[in-house]
Amino acid sequence: MEFSVPSALALRGITKAFPGVLANSDVTLSVGEGEVRALLGENGAGKSTLVKILYGLYQPDSGSIEVDGRTVSIRSPRDAMTLGIGMIHQHFTLVPVHTVWENIVLGLAPADGRPLSRDAAAAEIDALGKKYGLEVDPFARIDQLSVGMQQKVEILKALYRRARILVLDEPTAVLTPGEAENLFSFLREFRSSGNTVLFITHKLAEVFAVADSVTVLRGGRNAGDFGVRDASESDLVTCMVGRELVLTKGKPAGSTGNVVLDVRALSILGDRGNRVVDTLSLSVREGEILGIAGVSGNGQEELADVLCGLRIPESGEILLDGRPVRPGIPEAAFHAGTGYIPADRHREGLVLDMTVEENLILKNLSAYSRFGFLRMKKIRENAERLIKQFGIKTPSPAAKVKGLSGGNQQKIVAAREIEAGSRLLVAVQPTRGLDLGAADHVHRTLLDERDRGKAVFLVSTELSEVLKLSDRIAVIFRGRILGEFKRSEATVEKIGMLLAGGMGDAA
Amino acid sequence: MSAPGTKKTASGTIRTLVGERDNSLWTALFPLWSVLLGLAAGGLLMLLLDHNPLKIYGDLVSYAFRDIYNIADIFAKATPLILTGLAFAFAFRASLFNIGAQGQFYLGAVAAAACALAFPQLPSIVLLPLCALAAAVAGSLWGGFAGFCKARFNANEFLVSMMSTYVAVAVLDFLVRGPLREAKGEYPQTDVLAESAWIPSVIPGTRFHWGFFLALAVALIAWIILWKTTLGFRIRAVGRNRRAARFAGMNEQRIFLAVFLISGAFAGLAGFMEVNGVQRMVVQGFNPLLGSEGIGIAILGNAHPVGVVLSALLFGALKVGGILVTQTSTIPSSIIAILEGFVMLFVVLSYWLQHRIAAARARRRASEGGDSR
Repeated sequence: MEFSVPSALALRGITKAFPGVLANSDVTLSVGEGEVRALLGENGAGKSTLVKILYGLYQPDSGSIEVDGRTVSIRSPRDAMTLGIGMIHQHFTLVPVHTVWENIVLGLAPADGRPLSRDAAAAEIDALGKKYGLEVDPFARIDQLSVGMQQKVEILKALYRRARILVLDEPTAVLTPGEAENLFSFLREFRSSGNTVLFITHKLAEVFAVADSVTVLRGGRNAGDFGVRDASESDLVTCMVGRELVLTKGKPAGSTGNVVLDVRALSILGDRGNRVVDTLSLSVREGEILGIAGVSGNGQEELADVLCGLRIPESGEILLDGRPVRPGIPEAAFHAGTGYIPADRHREGLVLDMTVEENLILKNLSAYSRFGFLRMKKIRENAERLIKQFGIKTPSPAAKVKGLSGGNQQKIVAAREIEAGSRLLVAVQPTRGLDLGAADHVHRTLLDERDRGKAVFLVSTELSEVLKLSDRIAVIFRGRILGEFKRSEATVEKIGMLLAGGMGDAA
Repeated sequence: MSAPGTKKTASGTIRTLVGERDNSLWTALFPLWSVLLGLAAGGLLMLLLDHNPLKIYGDLVSYAFRDIYNIADIFAKATPLILTGLAFAFAFRASLFNIGAQGQFYLGAVAAAACALAFPQLPSIVLLPLCALAAAVAGSLWGGFAGFCKARFNANEFLVSMMSTYVAVAVLDFLVRGPLREAKGEYPQTDVLAESAWIPSVIPGTRFHWGFFLALAVALIAWIILWKTTLGFRIRAVGRNRRAARFAGMNEQRIFLAVFLISGAFAGLAGFMEVNGVQRMVVQGFNPLLGSEGIGIAILGNAHPVGVVLSALLFGALKVGGILVTQTSTIPSSIIAILEGFVMLFVVLSYWLQHRIAAARARRRASEGGDSR
């Protein structure tokens, strides 16, 4: 770490909790003048929350922020701008039907010291653009510009407000490689005039391309600060996905049986039309947990979606017990015996405003109804049985799920899906946002189901979770399986290297 | 879900019925506070108009309950309001907005009248169910159009249902000036229906007709559909978390269509009630506010069938008392509409407050208990 440089920006002990989730926990970091700091971490590691606090969009529960060595209070984006902090959001905040200069001056009153003159503004924008290589026609309309140009406008907007500290939230997610390279050369230029940059990413290659130093966030905590020159890719990966590799082995698998899930040459297109899974094949047997390790965004979420009928694949085949499953139909996957424990239980797994017993039958209404009428008694019995079996803490089966804790909500999803998934359980980040006790319960449940002879398909970006539970581990990178290990053969080093795409081919 | 597992105390039962099981008594009484605040705000306005609000309200209540005729009229006024309230509430449970109850009501009214005019010789026992059916089907199809557009083209159901009302008004105008115009050809209205098409009175000599009990039955049916059937289960799941419902394999398009077909049928039945029960003919542009009042009633009633019935009775009493007060004093008649407006405004504000309280409670719970409870 380069603490010798005077710190332009320092966060001290930032903690922020949302209902059920500790987003940031005692995060401390400081960035010097003329430094580019990367903030690296998985989805849900707390990166966005941290920068939103920095920009005044959230207030921290505790902790303080210092700019140029002075403790400051940032109550709103306006405060942040006054302190010279500019933020480039992942989703742009431009008015599409307005011109570039109009967008840049938007929200600045003449009282800010500059009369609102079109020509003066345009001239200043031109000058800034020339200085930093961000040339944009001030009179072009935003909706006529490419995404890369729009990002330049966002940056110019911050520079026009005299930003000295630039915060960028996954700035390359929307850019082409060429545009990304332009962005990086701007960041280097910007830094060399004594400014400070903090940028969020989960791509390792970007860290090495542009950052001087990197802070890794994991589970809302600062998991480590590195100077880029001193750090290797696998250092960063293991730090990012969990390095407390206490290999608390789950129970070793008994004998595995027939192939349950057989995926053949599956290709999947992502939301932006790019191919996120590429002719991928794998299989899972009875009594086996296959863990998919990988940095998020390498196609594993889409793969799980397809297995559960939530997304239509581009090509390829899915067989369950040797029979093809019709793609893109949730019922088809369900009736074939697939249960799905989604990553985002609030949005995908539960109806929070409905009751515990209702959520427990969400997928299987036909078994709990006759002639279109709900069979209340049977629904109640089912709920009472599952509440007992899974130890769900709820005041009553008729209580709304909204009022339960995160761990108990996840138990409801698990209970329902384990009932539904008579053959195959697909679990995606099943412990995200849960505390240790609740996470351990989910782990034990998955192991128990394996021992009952189910096939389990586990997707997790927590390497420790994959290593703890899986009988076999497959590493996914850019939609392909780069390597597969039996658990006994797997080492952190081998997997860590593949997670980054193998040596010399980092993401 | 009904009232399972709770001790059957009176207040507990009521709270279970209106779906406020999880909240304290204070929040369960929010609609009541809203009404009181609305009346207080209306009272301030009366003060500005140099009237004594206590006297006005006193008169209003004493007029509304002065004699059996007026009391009966409360029920007569409440009858169509229950149905248009249910129409909005039912769709609202699926997070859909049926703003077009007025149009569905008009087409239901025209269908009921046309049916009665076409078969005047039929006995009541046949003709009345036939009129009711015609009204329900007409309203259902008209509402179903908005549901279809939502399901098929992802059109905004709010706008489609609202705009379809203007079309329905035009259709009604055309029919009462053309094919259904009275024999005299003097006014834009139909002939008086044959007596066999009249819904009989509960209390002779008043406007309180048996349709009120049909409206109660419809409220019960709405409750049964929502909380006792798989369709209702799906409606509520789609309404509360569309994404999770899709993940559970529910077809939201089908739900959109079903909800609007049912919601439209409720509003269409209101047409049957007004034509066969009260007006006994169709007049151009009658009851033009029934649809919008239904929205307020549904909101005041927490979009719950029991709440809708109670709110509709309250609005019925306000109407009956209000009309007499404004007729017998110098206060402008629009004061009643303003009162209703204030009440709805405060109800909406109370939802905001409830939301704030719930959020604060969740925050408190998060900071106290963490995730491991």
